[in-house]
Amino acid sequence: MVENMNMQSSKNEIGGQQKAITPKMRARKVNVYYGENHALKDINLDINPNEVTALIGPSGCGKSTFLRSLNRMNDIIDICRVEGTITLDGEDINNKSIDVVQLRARIGMVFQKPNPFPKSIYDNIAYGPRIHGIANNKHELDEIVHSSLKKAGLWNEVHDRLDASGTSLSGGQQQRLCIARTIAIEPEVILMDEPCSALDPIATAVIEELIDELKNRYAIVIVTHSMQQAARISQKTAFFHLGKLMEHGDTATIFTNPTHQKTRDYITGRYG
Amino acid sequence: MTDTSDNDQAITRVIWHSDEQKNRLKSRYRKEKIFKFFAVSSLAAAMAALVVVLGSIIITGSSGFIETRIEMDIFLDKAVLGDLPTDDRQEYEKQVAGANINRILVSSLQREFPDVTKRSDVFELLRLFSVGAQTDIRDVILKDPSVIGKTIPINLLASSNVDMLIKGNISRDVAENDRKISDQQIAWIDKLNNDGKVTQGFNWSFFVSGDSREPELAGIWSATIGSFLTLLVTFLIAFPIGVGSAIYLEEFAPKNRITDLIEININNLAAVPSIIFGLLGLAIFINYINLPRSAPLVGGLTLALMTLPTIIITARAALKAVPPSIKEAAIGLGASHMQTVFHHVLPLSMPGILTGSIIGMAQALGETAPLIMIGMVAFIVDTPGSIMEASTALPVQVYLWADSPERGFLEKTSAAIMVLLAFLIIMNGLAIWLRQKFEKKW
Repeated sequence: MVENMNMQSSKNEIGGQQKAITPKMRARKVNVYYGENHALKDINLDINPNEVTALIGPSGCGKSTFLRSLNRMNDIIDICRVEGTITLDGEDINNKSIDVVQLRARIGMVFQKPNPFPKSIYDNIAYGPRIHGIANNKHELDEIVHSSLKKAGLWNEVHDRLDASGTSLSGGQQQRLCIARTIAIEPEVILMDEPCSALDPIATAVIEELIDELKNRYAIVIVTHSMQQAARISQKTAFFHLGKLMEHGDTATIFTNPTHQKTRDYITGRYG
Repeated sequence: MTDTSDNDQAITRVIWHSDEQKNRLKSRYRKEKIFKFFAVSSLAAAMAALVVVLGSIIITGSSGFIETRIEMDIFLDKAVLGDLPTDDRQEYEKQVAGANINRILVSSLQREFPDVTKRSDVFELLRLFSVGAQTDIRDVILKDPSVIGKTIPINLLASSNVDMLIKGNISRDVAENDRKISDQQIAWIDKLNNDGKVTQGFNWSFFVSGDSREPELAGIWSATIGSFLTLLVTFLIAFPIGVGSAIYLEEFAPKNRITDLIEININNLAAVPSIIFGLLGLAIFINYINLPRSAPLVGGLTLALMTLPTIIITARAALKAVPPSIKEAAIGLGASHMQTVFHHVLPLSMPGILTGSIIGMAQALGETAPLIMIGMVAFIVDTPGSIMEASTALPVQVYLWADSPERGFLEKTSAAIMVLLAFLIIMNGLAIWLRQKFEKKW
């Protein structure tokens, strides 16, 4: 019931604003190759601001690859080659004039496995602002750490032990720490690669709530294996299959009235 | 959709209680037992070998830390010493250094053994004592000028032959001509021993003095300092270059044929016999660059060449062991490649790098062949004051002593090996400690 209501409301919301929205990111004819392997084929997808876009599909369908193309994370894989255009605010992110380091600061990323640095909680969050010179002094840095932890819903749990190692937290807390770390540098887009797959249902619920809140400030792209999760938290859904984008659109439409048989099979659990 | 239903029929159900299954189980247990037996026995063989090696070294070497002294009443004759200026310390020391201590010793010995009159017998008697005995007497005079003119008992260092006899390393049963000590000397020692004059004590001078032709005076201090200076040079050169190359090769270098070739060569260099590095050091550092021979600088440079591959390989392994998720986290936050490496990867791999480097250093500490090639094998008594002075090193000292004919050097050799092993154990222990202390868990 709750799911349905959520979907309904988001659909209405989007339906009302559809024309006013210019996509935050735009992927056109994106092809990705791992050596000989053609991993992504002609992907065209728009990422809207203040929305959660869910990428779903069976394992190995290329959704993580697509996600990693969005902040050029694939650059660090030697054999990976990306073709086509991906734009951020109309600018080609693969353009030579774009600094990849700055790009990744603008497009934050949260990974599948919580990966806090083996440093204190404070240093985990302060690292990004430090290397980008966001805080001018210790006081500002404290403020960033405080607000980031608060936004990630972690402040109440860790405010008395900011010196404790980030790795000493529980899995769910670690993932929220990673989210706090990402939003500490105020990105414009947040990419999440199955952020809840290593977490228990309670921690997952907390993170989902957090994602729902975060979409008011950022464009969020999330890869997920959980249909329920995609249905609960996303406004747009894209279904990938064998490196192709089979179908994308409003989450409500995809889940209730998919065009492709494959999509229907996947969503209903008959495939994948 | 799938054809699992067809496969189901093809598989016959296993009867877990059948004899066939029981035999299968038995054979599995038997195989495990055999494997366990081989594993334990090979471990036992390795342990036995270690015990034999260490045991023989300790049994031979432990007496090397013991010295024999003979207490004699020494008459510090004013007539021999002359009128020493007790007010002027400097002049006093100078004159004591030049005094004829030998005569004092001889006359004191003749008073102890009045029946020894023949010149050759006196020499025999004198040979019971080390040349270091004169230093013992001199030290007493230097310490307290008031003893001059008195007869006082002084504990004199015995000669190596006496030392060996007391320790039982020279057998009395051997014919007189075949042993280093005469029947007459043995008789004297037995008399002194019965009087309770012969004592054994800890050989401190072994640790604080340099090499000597006399086994009872030889020590490892100068070799230790030589080893220390050599290793210092090795570390200062091999560590930064090794870690730097490892970081570059592992994190920055493009993966192509050239880097592959470099990698193969580094791995091959690690297996090159060390004496080749010695020849290289001789050819380049001494013959071409004209650095001083036998100097710790050259030794250190040569050992650095030898240690570099070890450090590069272990450092690369340590860098590789850093989980990629940490790298991705940093890169995902917009850290540049260099920031990622120096802020995260390097600190996390530092315990491993240090461990590898220390083990490389320990290897260098025990290395003998390259040092022999560059002339650190000379007989050097003085402790080197800098990396440019001629010096020797601990393993080379072991080699030198092992090569000496005197019986006394046998135990010194083993004693020096024990000290060398102690240093190696300390270094390896340090490596383990560092790894456990700084290793981060995630």
